Amino acid sequence: MSALELLAPAGSTLERAAASVAGALTVREGPLRRMRLRFYDTFDGRLRAAGLTLCHEQDDPAAGGGRLALLARDGGELLSAISAPPLPEPALALELPEGELRRRLLEVVDVRALLALAALDARELALAALDARQKTIARGRLLEPGSNGDGELRVPVRLVLRSLRGFEEELEAIGPRLLQRGFAPARRPLVDELVLAGGGSPAGTSSKVAVKLIPTQRSDAAAVAVLRRLAEVMDANLDGAAEAIDAEFLHDFRVALRRTRSVLKQLADVFPPAERERFRVALRDLQRATAQARDLDVYVLEFDAMVALVPERWRADLRPLRELLARRRELAHRACDRELRSERTVALRREWGELLEALVGLAGEDRPGAERPIGELAGERIARVYRRMVKRGRAIGPGTPAAEYHELRKQGKELRYLLELFGRPLYDRRLVRSLVVCLKDLQDVLGRHQDREVQVGMLRSLAPELARAPGGPQALMATGVLIEALCEDEARAREQFRGAFEDFAAKGMRRAVREAFC
Amino acid sequence: MSRVLATYNIKGGVGKTSAAVNLAYLAARDGSPTLLWDLDPQGAATYLFRIKPRLRGGSKKLVELRSDARDLVKETDYRRLHLLPADLSYRHLDLALDSFKRPTRRLLRVLEPLLGDYEYVFLDCPPSLSLVSESVFATADALLVPIIPATLSARTFSQLSDLVAQGRRSRVQVLAFFSMLDVRKSLHREVMARLRAEHPDALLGAAIPAADEVERMGESRTAVAEIAPGGRAALAYEALWWDVRRRLAAAPRAGR
Repeated sequence: MSALELLAPAGSTLERAAASVAGALTVREGPLRRMRLRFYDTFDGRLRAAGLTLCHEQDDPAAGGGRLALLARDGGELLSAISAPPLPEPALALELPEGELRRRLLEVVDVRALLALAALDARELALAALDARQKTIARGRLLEPGSNGDGELRVPVRLVLRSLRGFEEELEAIGPRLLQRGFAPARRPLVDELVLAGGGSPAGTSSKVAVKLIPTQRSDAAAVAVLRRLAEVMDANLDGAAEAIDAEFLHDFRVALRRTRSVLKQLADVFPPAERERFRVALRDLQRATAQARDLDVYVLEFDAMVALVPERWRADLRPLRELLARRRELAHRACDRELRSERTVALRREWGELLEALVGLAGEDRPGAERPIGELAGERIARVYRRMVKRGRAIGPGTPAAEYHELRKQGKELRYLLELFGRPLYDRRLVRSLVVCLKDLQDVLGRHQDREVQVGMLRSLAPELARAPGGPQALMATGVLIEALCEDEARAREQFRGAFEDFAAKGMRRAVREAFC
Repeated sequence: MSRVLATYNIKGGVGKTSAAVNLAYLAARDGSPTLLWDLDPQGAATYLFRIKPRLRGGSKKLVELRSDARDLVKETDYRRLHLLPADLSYRHLDLALDSFKRPTRRLLRVLEPLLGDYEYVFLDCPPSLSLVSESVFATADALLVPIIPATLSARTFSQLSDLVAQGRRSRVQVLAFFSMLDVRKSLHREVMARLRAEHPDALLGAAIPAADEVERMGESRTAVAEIAPGGRAALAYEALWWDVRRRLAAAPRAGR
């Protein structure tokens, strides 16, 4: 199937546009509708990136109801739809009725909330384009945007026609006839036009950090460029994290925060010592203050996966545990919200921004690394962290305390951030990619090992409160079975450590790191 | 996997195309993705759907599998109802099929890429006794055989029943129904009663009346249900479709 999406000549009303279309082709007009349209996507534009548009159509807002439809972004082909009222703000795909629409959305958006991008009152005229045999070759509509609630929109009348199967060539032949009547190809789908008209960004807000760096650049300037982008990511995600719109806001905020702390540590020599220490402590405290909310997000989101470790006949007994975790999560998020909006955090963000603004211009005596080329300094740090990981990992055996595995994991995170923030822009991409892949495999094993240990500790800490809950005794027994399963998984992760580490520390990798980064 | 239903009779003008078009319409209306393959070089079904009776590359290329049937399907004006159009070259289809080692398997090979996309595939067959018909017997789950309740038609049906029973594809269900029935005619009533007694399993209960709206399909080029939704013919096709589905559900699928 092919599609045509055109804009009517400037200033056209629906009626004038319809007359123009009828002058160019044989059409059958359908009913004229007044409707309210609402468009949704995640904060980071996942549906758009996947070539999809989620739209709610409603004929009579007073009556409620309507249709929620998932469409192909190009051409607007209907992929799936359900009868439903407009989505609440925010909405989770998991809360939609089970069915194909929900399944398709979950594949793309996962746990991210669906947010309203734009709303529009419009008039729509359904159309069918016919050939000489009066056969329908394409169906579509003329859409006249009206108001978006903030006033009249300067968005032209839009014609969309989608061919019936087997009539693609016939539809293509129609295009030039319409262009001769003053129609112009639509450069963007309607939803993008509406978002732009509202001052937004159609692609959403990305938390990706991909800063271009030059190897000869001063290290302090390079650090500032990266840290500024990380600060932007934190700012963009702060409100969503504070309001707990979805779990990804806090996650992205904390990842950006952790990366910031890592740059501060790994490129310590570009910062004045006093400032470095001050912000090291302040950023660490912010990380700690938001940790519990994130941990509980993960427990709640992954609860079903965790419960799957318990024999089926006991899983229902764990309901009190789920409820307890949900309550704790609620409390943790309230505390997190207070912290994120506190005077202390506001001041921290402001002062951090001021430091970044001023850094490159500061005197360099106490910043020995400031003027060094970033291509040198970053390479040094990458190689050094890698070597330390190899040394630490070699010393780890089956009987090594868990704390050593955790330290190795922390070093792994430092290395990962260095590679992502500085390795990718400055060094051989293939080497960086293969090192990241080995590191990721190792981190996955170490992460599982640590997560299971932490989960066991957390479950044990909940035991007194769980015992007092309705159904507590059964829940405790089932939790005991769960703890045993988690311990077994932790042990399995230990067994897998050696293989993952050997790939990471292989002779060829060590040589490649030496050659590329030293 | 699709159910393949072929409207077939050796005699022409008995209501095969009307049945194929109206039953396919009902199947699609009820939510089943449906394909109608117009195998008749006359292209009556194709005409009714207002589609050009032309296959890019012709039928020879299609049966040689040098054309992909998926690229040749056209969507009708009815949602979920698609057409594989007729082409004048179908008049040589026997010759084209005869060039293959297992000619009666060829139509199924053509259909195979499409079978996963449709719940029902209707084959509107030309009135003939030929390699094309044998291929249809080998491909279809059921033959839908319209019979005008007159003496010669009854004889033709008996011949057809014997032919199908003799063939290697004797597992295809034969579902006959009376077509162009005029209950005012005593001959029609007598022949109906006799055939029902002789072929109790093969004859469906529903019967299509000789009705003005069926004849008007050629003028309006729409299904009967759109011409006269509550009329005798529309109701008869609804009953026929119900009957066909019931019989299909009760029978094991013909192995292909």
